[in-house]
This record gives sequence, structure tokens and C-alpha cells, in this order.
Amino acid sequence: MRKGENPLPGPRARLLTLLAFTLILPQIAWSGEASISQPAKPKVSFQEFTLKNGLRAILSEDHAAPTYSICVTYNVGSRDERPGRTGFAHLFEHMMFQGSANIGKGEHFILILNNGGSANGTTNADRTNYFETLPANQLELGIFLEADRMRALDVTQVNFDNQRHTVQEERRLNYDNRPYGRTAETVLDTAYDNFAYKHSTIGSMEDLNAASIDDARAFFQTYYAPHNAVLSLVGDFQTETALALIKKYFESIPSEGSPPVPDMAEPEQTGERRRNIEDAFAQAPRIDIVYKIKQGNTPDWYALRVLGHIMAGDLSSRLYQKLVKELEMVVSVSAGPDERRGTSLFWVSLVVRPDKSLQEVERLVYEEIERLKKEPPAQWELDKVRMKLKRQQAQELYSTRSRANSLGHYAVYYNDPNLINSALDKIAEVTKADLQRVADTYLTESNRTVVTTLPKSKADQKR
Amino acid sequence: MSPFQRPVIRLVSLLALTTWITVPLLVSGQEGSSSVSPSKVERKNKAPLSTETLRVHLPKPVEAKLANGLMVLILEDHRLPNVLVELHLRRAGALFEPDNLSGLASATAQMLREGTHQRSSRQIAEELDRLGASVGAGSSFGSTETVFTASGLSENFDGWFAVGLDILLHPSFPAAELNQFKERTKVQLRQQRASSGFLAGERFNRAVFGGHPAAVVAATLESINALTPDLLTKWHREKYSPRDALLAVAGDVSPAELIPKLEKSLGNWRGARRSQRMPPNPAPAATRKIYLVERPNSVQTTLTVGNIAIDRRSEDFVPMVVMNHLLGGSAAGRLFLNLREEKGYTYGAYSNFTALQYPGPWRAGADVRTDVTEGALTELFNEIRRIRESKASETELAETKRSVVAGFALSLEQPARLLAFALTRKFYNLPDDYWDNYPAKIDAVTAEDIQRVARKYLNPEAMQIVAVGDGRKIKPALEKFGTIEVYDTEGKRIP
Repeated sequence: MRKGENPLPGPRARLLTLLAFTLILPQIAWSGEASISQPAKPKVSFQEFTLKNGLRAILSEDHAAPTYSICVTYNVGSRDERPGRTGFAHLFEHMMFQGSANIGKGEHFILILNNGGSANGTTNADRTNYFETLPANQLELGIFLEADRMRALDVTQVNFDNQRHTVQEERRLNYDNRPYGRTAETVLDTAYDNFAYKHSTIGSMEDLNAASIDDARAFFQTYYAPHNAVLSLVGDFQTETALALIKKYFESIPSEGSPPVPDMAEPEQTGERRRNIEDAFAQAPRIDIVYKIKQGNTPDWYALRVLGHIMAGDLSSRLYQKLVKELEMVVSVSAGPDERRGTSLFWVSLVVRPDKSLQEVERLVYEEIERLKKEPPAQWELDKVRMKLKRQQAQELYSTRSRANSLGHYAVYYNDPNLINSALDKIAEVTKADLQRVADTYLTESNRTVVTTLPKSKADQKR
Repeated sequence: MSPFQRPVIRLVSLLALTTWITVPLLVSGQEGSSSVSPSKVERKNKAPLSTETLRVHLPKPVEAKLANGLMVLILEDHRLPNVLVELHLRRAGALFEPDNLSGLASATAQMLREGTHQRSSRQIAEELDRLGASVGAGSSFGSTETVFTASGLSENFDGWFAVGLDILLHPSFPAAELNQFKERTKVQLRQQRASSGFLAGERFNRAVFGGHPAAVVAATLESINALTPDLLTKWHREKYSPRDALLAVAGDVSPAELIPKLEKSLGNWRGARRSQRMPPNPAPAATRKIYLVERPNSVQTTLTVGNIAIDRRSEDFVPMVVMNHLLGGSAAGRLFLNLREEKGYTYGAYSNFTALQYPGPWRAGADVRTDVTEGALTELFNEIRRIRESKASETELAETKRSVVAGFALSLEQPARLLAFALTRKFYNLPDDYWDNYPAKIDAVTAEDIQRVARKYLNPEAMQIVAVGDGRKIKPALEKFGTIEVYDTEGKRIP
């Protein structure tokens, strides 16, 4: 499968002898002295470039450690799948490790790990990303690997079948063979009407079985194009050198056509939806209460992020103190919005003690929500959320991978990579009135979906 | 497991194509009848590589000793405004719990946050959350230590560190809070029995450790019911002591300012002068045994095989690191490439080993779909035999060693990982230049060394095999590998 050519698999000769090998000093001394400087407000500085073929490149130079991370974020996720092919975007992600023009099956991991690096790929509803972290002297390797598979994937039927099996085992491991594994799928299926988010990213066994190598070829041609991706590079390199390498390997990859834009319209919900499921592995009942909310990076979404934290974000939060500590009805509780490019969900999820009333727990959650609508939260609750998120960000910024992934995330989701710096300001702007407003607007009976997961009675279980 | 008990290094292996593909792999008999050629790992060797291995020096922390003998390590790092504090209480681990009080060390550690003589549980939670700090403690089963951790922003370090010290030094273990804790814990004990990974770990540790206290991986209803405020107070008084403890700090701090603060706040801390004897080392099992845990409705089998191997100070530690990573340490390891990339049995197959103050197990495992249980077990043993019986190629060896050495660069991103290296060195009394010389030690490992440690420490004839899954379907397959003992998910033996 090559860009702009007949999509047939096959290796392609390349003049690799011309590649310059960067020579890095074999000994890099790194000590505490070298890094002493005044702590500034953490800020990620970066430069943006657009290649002739439309590939967007975001480069952030940082010499604190002799490492770098590269991340390529493709504007495709499970929301782009069609009925009958659920799970395909993720299955395809696996295929990106199965060989390209100059890389053999499995060789990608071998090359990265063998040179002291780490690598992975992830798929969600809204995007697919691939990332590597490597020692700084292997800059060319990471760039080459990502370019090679964007240019020309080399997929065979046996390798496709092999990864179909692997993904099915991933599904069994993370969904079918563990407690509450089906809960999230049931929530999505019940809450959403639009197919895009109604189905899970892992997909069904049936659809995974139906997927074909022709599907893979078409998917590659449609979505894995330079103008449908963002490359982010963070770490110990010279921007000029890195940009030259990026141009060298990526710029000649052709861009053709425009991927279809999925219809994300989600009709307004007009009444409460409820569903009960049985779980053969669960030992305690679980209640998931979800509300449809605005997409990520909107003032309402940020307000709901703060609200979720106040409700159940830490040990001093309202639901933890009330339901876990004071009333001892619940084992664990969490609350907060998921982040989607379309209609997102605000989740409240509780694992209930086996001997406690589910109805009563649910009623108490609604009582706390009503209180949030009537009375503004205390100033300290607002302050603690800001402090927590500030600290969480300062912690995440050590990692070049985390920065590269965030830049790609914000660029693909919202066309604004600088959200890596400004998202925290948007959190800080949330007022008490905003919190009351979003509670009032979204956390309503007619907008909610309630899924109860009940332990399957032992008597029903087959030996 | 606390991070310093095993070296935090990235070790990966690489197999030359010829080594992999020319070795005939036994077919399981389950899926082997397919007429299609199997999916195979392939190397084209066309990617541009720097042939240099980037070698780095790990920064060394400042060391100090407080008046009460408490050893302090400080790793200054001003990249970001964070501070991490870890106090390793090296005689307060779950390994030293009385037999009938499993969970005492962990309960004491977790209950530190539930009240001091000055603060209630709720006050502690609110105060720490306002400061955006994380404070807690824990002791995992099998561990010799309790680890107390506090972390937060440097701008309000004095505030959260003071609350942390109050929790550490003056807990009150209120009876009402302990009762709540016990009830929460009992539900968690029940919940973890739903996890096939937990059931596999429970049975595996029983099998390899036998009468050694590390055989225990969880509390019981009885041991939790037996906990009282007095027992926790006694454990805290006797085991939490600056003697043998290590206080490690990393981040946006200056040693010149911090050490006087520590002297002031911790210098008067005195602990009991009680020494702690290590239990006798576990002995490797003499014969192979298979443990089947029947978990109804399972759609996969969780397989674990292994045996007791080495402790952290063993002379074979370095070759064992290289051998293990070549075999199963990563997505480039033989196990992953065989069971996943070629056979498609599993989402992942790996091996690892635990080397502490006492010998711990080497183990390999994978979660595989029920109907390939026999094939997967066959392949696990094929790979174990292969690494014992034939030498790794020079290419494979060189590339594995290169990956180990090159991987050190990545640890320089994270102060917490650098601190873990320093702690490992102190904890096991390794020389000051241990990490400086480590790459050279890795480089010195030969193919003969790898084969030697594989033969010495991986013993397929006496390995313990644990399979958690659908008993009815997998029992006949397991019987081909040896004598079976069957258990239910409650851990009870089924006759």
C-alpha cells in the first residue's frame, strides 16, 4: 500500500546508503549542576511548520535530558468506522507495526527497543496516535520509522489474521474476562444515538472477524495521509536539523483527496434512559450515571471538569466523604467528563457495597447534585482543584512523550497546540456561577443515562 | 512493590532473523493444522541507525546523615517546581508480620492518614488537597519495608511536608476509622478474587515460596478482623524507626536549605532499637507441579510458570538481567515474538524476575484464549528449553546489551527514576560507582553467561505452573504437563 499508487503490498527500493548518520558525542555528562536554574512557570515553547504535502509539524526543543519523543497523531478514530466494522481503527493501528516498505513485521518494536527506546500506538474514538521515545542520537531513526509507514504500509493476509487474533485477545483480556468489562460499552450504547460514539473502540468479535485486508488498504488510503496527521517532536535536538530530516522523509509522501468528515450530530436526549446488566465476574454492584455534555475545550466542559473534581476527585471531595466515609455505602466513586471532539459524557461511577441499597445510593448522588445547583461551592474547593491540576501538569511535563502526545492531541482535536499551556488558564477562569450553571444545564434527569451492573448470582454460573 | 527493589532500567532484547526463524518451533496441535504459512517476524535492516551508543552518567544525590542517624539522599533538579519525598522504613515491611496478622503493615501505613493527635481524617484530607499534595504510605506483601511518600509543588513544600510529618510521626489510629477501614478492606478482598491475575499471583506465590512469608499476597477476612488500634500503635512504635531508614528527596529543593529543615523536624525522632531477622531463604521446589484455579465463565487462561531464582546481590544478577530481557523482557523478546507476533495466542507474553534481599522467582506468563492453553504452555516451555540448550547469536547478544545500556538515557527524563537508582545502590550496599560501571558489566556478559544462568535458574522439570481459567475445558490439556492440584476462586483446594 503506497500513497498515490496502486494499493498493492510490496517493498520498495530506497537509497539508504545516502543517509547521513548523526554522530552524537559518545559520552554525555549530565549532573545536577548542569540543570540548576530558577524554576519558572512551566511553559512548553514550540514552533510550527507545514510541509508542502500538508503535514503539520510541531517542534519543541528541550535539552534537559539526552532524549526525544516523536508522536504522529492521525485524524481518525473509531468514530470514523461504519456499521459492521466496529473495532477497525484499532485493528488497523496494530497493522502499522506489521511492516512497511523498509521495515519488516515486528521490526519496528525491535529497532526501537533495541536502541534503548520505547514505543506504542493508541486508538480512541477521535484519533489514533503512534509514539516513540529514543536517546537523542537516534533522531533519524524515529523520523524514518514514522515516515516509512505513512508512505507505504506492507500488509499481508497472514499478518492481518495474526493481529486480528491479537486484538481479539486484547478484547478478552480487557473486556470479556474481567469484572465490569462490559459496563462502559453498555453505557455508550445506551446513552448515544449516533453510531459514531455509540459503539466501543475495541469493537465486537463479530466485526473483527469480518474485517478484511481490503478494508485495511482502503482505510490506509483514506485516512493515513500527511494532510490528515500532525507530527510532534519534543526533546534534545536542533530544530533546524530535525526539520530537515522531517522534510527529507515526509515531504514527498503524496496527499490526495480529503477524508470524509463524520456526521457527529447527536440528537438531544428527552428522557432518562436505564439499563441493567449482569456481570459474571463482578463481586459488588456498580452504578454508572452519565450525562451528555458539550465537547472538550469549551467553557462548559472546563467547568464540568472542575465540578467533577469537587464531587469525587480526591479524598476530601463531597461524594467520597459522604458515601464512602460517612455513610459507608460505597466502595469507590469517581466523577468527571470524558474528553471528546463531539458530544461528551459526564460520568459518575460508583461501586456499591453488596449489602447496600442501590436506589438509596443513587438518590444520594442526585441529592448532592441538587445541592450543587442551589448553593455555590466553597472557595477552598475551587482553589484546591486549580492547585491539583497545576501540580498534575507540572508532573506530566517531565516526560517528552507526554508533551509530544499533548501537542498532537490539542492540534488534532482543537487545532490549537498551545492548549498545552493555556488549558490551565481556562480551568482557572471557571467561576462558582459557572459551576452552578453547568450543573443546572447538564446534570438533569431527562439528560441522564443510568446503567447498573449487577453480580450474576453464583447459582446461575456454570462450573 | 517499591521502585527501588528492582532496577529501573530498560532492558530489551533483539533476535536476529536467522536465529528466530530457522529454529523449528513445535506446533501445539491446537491450531497447527492450518495450511497457511504462519505470520513471521522479519528484519529488513534498512532503517538509519546511529551506531554510537549514547552513554550517560546518572547524577549522584547529595548524602547527609541527621543527628538521629537518619540517612538522607537529595537529588537536586530544578526543571519543574515539584518535590518528591520518599521515606523507606526498612524494617517495617509486611514480610515481618505475624502469621495471623497478614495486612498489619499495610493497614498501619494506610491508617496514618486517618487521624493524628492534632488532626482528624477529614482535616488531613482537606489540608493536603488544598495544597495539591499527595501523601500516603504502603507496604506490599513480601516487602521488607514500608514506604512513606509525600509529593507536591515546591511553592508550598513547607506546608504539605509538615502535615506529612504529623501523619508519619503522630498517628492516633482512631478506633472508628479503623473499623471503617476494615469494612472497606473486606470488600476489596472480595473484589480482588474476581481478577484472574490476582488468583494466578496468589497461587503462584504459594507454590514457589512454600513456607516462606512471601507466599502470602493478601490479607484474609480473619486477619483483617483481628486488627485493633493497639496492634497498629505497637507496630508503628516498634517498626517505624530512623535506624536503617532512608529518606530520599528529589526535585526543586536546595540541599543547603533543606538539610537544616530536616534536622529541625526529624532530628529528634527516635525509634525503637529492635533489630529484625530475615526469615530463612525460600528453597526452589524439587518437582514440577500444576495448579489449576477453576474460574467459572473464563474466556482466557491466565498462565504463569516459574521458579525461585536469585536475590539482588547475587553475582549472577547482571547476566540474569540480560538473559531475561532477551527471553521475555519486552515486545522484542522471544516470548512476545513467538506467542503473539507469530502464533496470535495472546495480547502479550513476557517474563520477569524479582530479586530482593532474599531470592525471588523468575516467571513467564500470558493470558491466552481458552482453546490454545496447551499450545501456549508448549511454546513457553519451548522457549525456556531453547535458551537453555542453544547459545544466543553474537548479533542477538550484542543488540540486547546495547539496548540495556542505551536505555539509561531515558531515565534522565524523570527525577523519580534517578532517585530509584540511587536508592537501589544504598539499599543493597552497592559501591558508589555501581551505576557508572554498570554498562561495562552489561557489556561483559557473554552468550555462555546467558546460557549458564538460564540452565542454572530456569528449571523446566521443577517449574511451578499456574493456570487460571475454565477448568472443565483446560484440565485435559494441563494433565499432559504433570500432576494437577485444583483450587476454587476462594483459594480452597478441590479434591
